[in-house]
Amino acid sequence: MKNKFTISDFIVYFVLILTALMIMIPLWKVLVDSLDLRTAYGMKLWPEEFGFDGYISVFTNPTLYQPLQVSIITTVLGTIIAMILSTLGAYVLIQWEMPGRNFFAGFLLFTMIFNGGMIPTFLVVKNIGLYNTLGAVILVNALNVYNLVLMRNFFESIPNSLFEAAEIDGASPMTIFIRIVLPLSKAALASIGLMFLVAYWNDYTNFKIYITNSDLYNFQMKLRSIILGSDLPTATGSATANTVQNAAIITAILPFVVIYPFAQKYFVTGINMGAVKE
Amino acid sequence: MSKQSKTFTRSDGSIGYVRSTPLRLRIKKYIPFYIMFLPVLIFALVFYYAPMGGIALAFTEYKGIKDPVFVGLDNFKRMFAQAGFWSAFKNTIFLSVVKLLLNTFMAVILSLLLNEVRNLRFKKITQTIVYLPHFMSWVVTASVFGMILAPSQTGLVNNLLTNLGIIERGQEIYFLGSQQWWTPTYFVVNIWKDTGWGTILYMATLTGIAPELYESASIDGAGRWQKMRYITLPALNNTIITVLILNLAKVMNLFESVFVMMNPAVTAQADVLQTYIYTQTFNSGALPNYGYTTAVGLVKSLVGCALVLICNYASKRVRGRGIV
Repeated sequence: MKNKFTISDFIVYFVLILTALMIMIPLWKVLVDSLDLRTAYGMKLWPEEFGFDGYISVFTNPTLYQPLQVSIITTVLGTIIAMILSTLGAYVLIQWEMPGRNFFAGFLLFTMIFNGGMIPTFLVVKNIGLYNTLGAVILVNALNVYNLVLMRNFFESIPNSLFEAAEIDGASPMTIFIRIVLPLSKAALASIGLMFLVAYWNDYTNFKIYITNSDLYNFQMKLRSIILGSDLPTATGSATANTVQNAAIITAILPFVVIYPFAQKYFVTGINMGAVKE
Repeated sequence: MSKQSKTFTRSDGSIGYVRSTPLRLRIKKYIPFYIMFLPVLIFALVFYYAPMGGIALAFTEYKGIKDPVFVGLDNFKRMFAQAGFWSAFKNTIFLSVVKLLLNTFMAVILSLLLNEVRNLRFKKITQTIVYLPHFMSWVVTASVFGMILAPSQTGLVNNLLTNLGIIERGQEIYFLGSQQWWTPTYFVVNIWKDTGWGTILYMATLTGIAPELYESASIDGAGRWQKMRYITLPALNNTIITVLILNLAKVMNLFESVFVMMNPAVTAQADVLQTYIYTQTFNSGALPNYGYTTAVGLVKSLVGCALVLICNYASKRVRGRGIV
């Protein structure tokens, strides 16, 4: 390939830089406004009066601190339970000689084709006493058949000889699962685990359906009401309401921005695992 | 056990055992696995199959206080007579399909551009930036855009338009609250959020193109544009079709993105079946008729089911394997 920088190169780089700017500017604007103690106006892309008071309001305000805790609890518990279900399910589905294996696979796959819908699911959750408990938002989507199938595809690539050798050595199925399957699947565990983490952290729909008690709102719910202005926390120091709103948005993105650079490759693995044809 | 069975070789080269052992013994061997599957089974039964049983409510009137009363097809008659239902049905299809086409188109363009970049560092940084919005929740996305699209001089976009002299001060556009602007704004926000992420699959395909193809094309005198047109783009065909099929199956599920961006002023443009079900049940003010909203959900699920089956069939034809 030639290494000359041609006009078409220039166009390619120019359009890509423009695209990256279009993606970043809205986020940059929120970041700037979250650090600006003066009332924001449109085209201000640098804080006029720099200060952290917006964030101090977010983190010291008990009405915001609690949703943050709820988010952490549901994300951690939810991801653990979801991972247990998808790894166990995937491990059982690769037991090709197990009587009933195909029935179990079909039983799970059918839920991807047809479902009861929002209201019947809501009524079931209500009838088993999970309505207005964190159990509802943790459990209702813990079994994700799509991710389970991704996991199964990954487990399938483990050489059969490993299982057979372990079996001959007298290892129990659970031992094989913990000692062989899981350690050999670190990439899949990381990428599917991250998908669950993001889904639980970002969950809004389930909270909106199953939780009416505002003590149990997660950060997304809280953020929503802060933005809609119905529930603005009292600004501390010299922060304006606008500063606090923007600081709350950044806080909701923060955990993700911290792990993202390290995790990016696992996300990419995950999506390719799912759809790239063999 | 394995010692007594005959073996055969699978297509992938691994050894399998002929099922000559009696069923009872085989089941006994797999007891630990059945126990491991139990939690999965319970979750599937409670959160997927029990709600399917609840579909019977679609033929009843049920307000959660008294027992459901069988009303036959009344809920469906009422639904089909309602303009709100049809508008939601139409919006679901329209918003999902146009969004899918726009996002796919933009993602293909972006992939082609990224593929032309030879500076790997620049490519990596650009990819990192464009993936980012995908991980932000819809609440965050709607909040960010709520801020920059604010219908006053505090909103970045309106302020910019005023400074450029396109609109007058005091005539700021209410992008998310006007019937004329909501739909285009919704598509733009979706493009912003998911175009970058959409490139991942295309980029994976593009890295698989043999460099020899480009080299021999160069020798034949093909320019950059011709190589893009006759090598890169055709290589993406299958992936594009795969993406369209996979996503077409999910068309009916549209919910959260619309839910956080809509408001009563734009119901006619924005309301989709899932938001219709939600508002009819939880925001109707009166006692909700669960029977009616279950019926709407059933119609939604049936159409969704048909789409999945059609897409599954298409997928088998096009790429030799189904989607479920």
